[in-house]
Amino acid sequence: MKNKRLAIVLDTRRCIDCKACTVACKAENRVPLGRNNYRNWVDEEALRGAYPNLGQSFTPSQCQHCANPPCAHVCPTHATEVNPDGIVHVVDKKCIGCKYCQTACPYNARYYNEEIGAVDKCTFCAHRVYEGRLPACVETCPTKVRVFGDINDPNSEVSRLLAKYPSRVLKPAQGTKPHLFYLI
Amino acid sequence: MARLIEKKLSRRRFLGLSTCALAGVAVGSQVKVLRALAKTGEIGEVTTLPGKDVFTSCGMCVNKCGVIARVRDGVIHKLDPNPHFAAKSRAMLCARGNAGVKVVYDPDRLKYPLIRVGARGEGQWRRASWEEALDEVAKQMNAVAEKYTRAGVMFASTEGTFQEHFFMQLAECFGSPNTVRHPTLCLSSNIQGFGATFGTNPTPDVLGADYIIMSGANRSEALITPDSIDMLKGDGGHRKLVYLDPRFTKTAAKADEWYPIRPGTDMAFILAMIHVIVKEELYAKNFVETMTVGFDRLVPHIEPYTPEWAAAECDIPAADIRRIAREFAAAAPKAVYYQGRRSSFFANDTQMRRAMAILNAVVGNWDVEGGMLPNRSIALNKHDYLAPWYDDVPGRLDEGAVTYLSEKDGSWPIFRDRVLAGKPYPVKGMLAYKQNVLASVPNRAKSLKMMEQMDFICTIDITMSDTAWYSDVVLPEATYLERLDPPEVLGGIVPVVAFRQPAIEPMFESKPCLWIMQELAKRLGEEIAETFDFTMEEHIEHMVQANPKILEDLRTKGVYLEAEQPVYGATYGQPLKTKSGKVEIYSEKYAENGLDPLPVYTPPEAVPAGKYRLLVGRHAYFTHGTTANNPYLHDIMPENTLWLNPREADRLGLTNGRLVRVRSAVGEETLKLEVTEKIRPDSVYLAHGFGVLSKGLTNVYGKGGCDAALIEEKTCPISGNVAMHETFVEVFPA
Repeated sequence: MKNKRLAIVLDTRRCIDCKACTVACKAENRVPLGRNNYRNWVDEEALRGAYPNLGQSFTPSQCQHCANPPCAHVCPTHATEVNPDGIVHVVDKKCIGCKYCQTACPYNARYYNEEIGAVDKCTFCAHRVYEGRLPACVETCPTKVRVFGDINDPNSEVSRLLAKYPSRVLKPAQGTKPHLFYLI
Repeated sequence: MARLIEKKLSRRRFLGLSTCALAGVAVGSQVKVLRALAKTGEIGEVTTLPGKDVFTSCGMCVNKCGVIARVRDGVIHKLDPNPHFAAKSRAMLCARGNAGVKVVYDPDRLKYPLIRVGARGEGQWRRASWEEALDEVAKQMNAVAEKYTRAGVMFASTEGTFQEHFFMQLAECFGSPNTVRHPTLCLSSNIQGFGATFGTNPTPDVLGADYIIMSGANRSEALITPDSIDMLKGDGGHRKLVYLDPRFTKTAAKADEWYPIRPGTDMAFILAMIHVIVKEELYAKNFVETMTVGFDRLVPHIEPYTPEWAAAECDIPAADIRRIAREFAAAAPKAVYYQGRRSSFFANDTQMRRAMAILNAVVGNWDVEGGMLPNRSIALNKHDYLAPWYDDVPGRLDEGAVTYLSEKDGSWPIFRDRVLAGKPYPVKGMLAYKQNVLASVPNRAKSLKMMEQMDFICTIDITMSDTAWYSDVVLPEATYLERLDPPEVLGGIVPVVAFRQPAIEPMFESKPCLWIMQELAKRLGEEIAETFDFTMEEHIEHMVQANPKILEDLRTKGVYLEAEQPVYGATYGQPLKTKSGKVEIYSEKYAENGLDPLPVYTPPEAVPAGKYRLLVGRHAYFTHGTTANNPYLHDIMPENTLWLNPREADRLGLTNGRLVRVRSAVGEETLKLEVTEKIRPDSVYLAHGFGVLSKGLTNVYGKGGCDAALIEEKTCPISGNVAMHETFVEVFPA
């Protein structure tokens, strides 16, 4: 996995807020039931305009696998680690459940998993990715909003999309250097 | 940096609870994963049973998308989309499909046969053996037949399991004509209106179309594969979508233009479009001349239907109607007025479909890329049997009730009325297979009355649906992931064959439909049993006899198809399946039956003062009344709300989130109010599938309100389809 930088590019113009990604993730990663337990989700943005001229966007979100992850900086036990390919993950045996990282994350991407007694979040489905498969949310997405790949590889689909279209990241002012890129 | 720590993994942790790279090891890739693990963190001795990946098709809704069940240690760990299924399901799986694992591992599942001990609906059951339960069902069926003829037992079922035809076979062999299915709660008027015009109900080529107009089909929420996906094809969705809906749905959010059309006026909009296209000579002259009949009669017919007239009916500016008509004609033939699959909302639905079909016909989009394509199919051997002959069995109970009644499907609302009246003869026994009558047929109180007067009710299902809750005997079916199901052709632009094979053995005491039917047949008599004298494997072999490759592909890829690409223009030079062999703009057949040969507009009943029109609609998270209790889906949407426009909420002094009572002529429901701009001020809406009666649905019981309890069942006199939008309600503080 050396010299890779994994990322997801999202074309939210195609997102219909169908929640396939959310359910796929819950099933794949054994996320406990309950409305507050999630590794990924889709936000319904506020309605634009007034009846009968309305508009609405949908924004899928999750752990942004930041290059400058505040969660890792604040963890008192160094439970949050970063793989060489950029995947940020929690070593649950090291996690003492203090939830400092949850507070530090500007993206609200972490929840406390009662079943494992540790903070939990998206791992880009590392267990699938390291087998050469796609993250569950990417694979299942009906309208193919999500594209996963290595932005260090100029020939990858993610690189192609980022070269072709302007994109944005969420909360850039936080300086976290997130690696979910939203096409504009 | 992670330090290597020797540790033991519990199986549960191994199966995916860890947050670093563990879990879901496929056979053969273990070494790779272990290496990766060594790189990323701690690792220990890992032992696991070999996993298996099973090709099957989803059973969560009507689409039957391709699924790969990942089985690890004898447990279905995950359902992944089948990439080979690209022609139909575009290699994706929606929220419901992903939630399928919770259908199998659901504490609310029916686990063994149940026999009622208290009063109906009280929920007092005792566990019974299959032997006893089946004996009881057969005994009761025979008792009803003895007392009221064999037509006294009704068979209610719905599609989806690939095994419904066994249930229908039992009905026929038992000798009852009274089978009642879903189409008259669904799209029978659609099939009728388009069939009368084109001789078939074609499929819009959404992938090829540049211009799509959609009314009443909410494709981003009522998912239909591949249409829902193809609508957003290309980077950012490359096509023009004009969408008419009284609600701002997720389809509206994706549309280029959204018009909150006045409910029930779609036909006015369409006729005005035809008016513009004909008057301005924008129609496909060559096609109209060579492939259609009755255009000359259409010309004077549409004279009064101007955009200005339609504007007042529809609440859509005349200039927009005119512009859309011109754009549509300019984009033709790669332009479709999308009929898709949708329920019917008004009693004139069949004629509204005729208007839709005629509009499509005049722009010449028939059987060309981006237009309306006749459905294609793949030949399978038919399962034949010789049903016993019985004397003195009357015809269908709802015979003659509507102009075109399907022998197999019937008309639900009319059938129910006749059961209640006991005329022309009594129906006192009811078998329901998978159909949740109390949730899906409008006017729930009436359905309950119908069931009350039954001597006997048996329901076969996988959970305790409302219908099961009010039954006498409840039989647990194996879920779609535990069954071998026969091949089924999913017709369409690119037809495929799908089937199901069990990912795991049926849990508890659940059994597949075929087994249940065979066991009932044995008890109902030798002649009936003889028609069921085969195994599922033999049945499947027989179906694919002419082409063994079908089965081979199904086993190795989960899907069989003959072409990856659509075929265009095959019907040109061939007569269509209409009386004239051409596209019938003017329908002689309708004229002969005393129906309007060209669609004549009648305005919907005006909304009375102080009331609102009740709208129904679909969700991408749920399939009708069957999935609201699924734990994963329940997490996404635990209850439904009543949508009301802020203007009206202010007028009534009602605030967002408070409880309200909704009252119609046939029922009253209490649920939370959602004040939202996303709906016309003269309408209210609530999602389907909530407000259940069954306490056996533990997640959803006591949550939200039931639309079926409120809707009055007006009926289309041509097709027998229910009209879902002809109900007015009042809203009060609770």
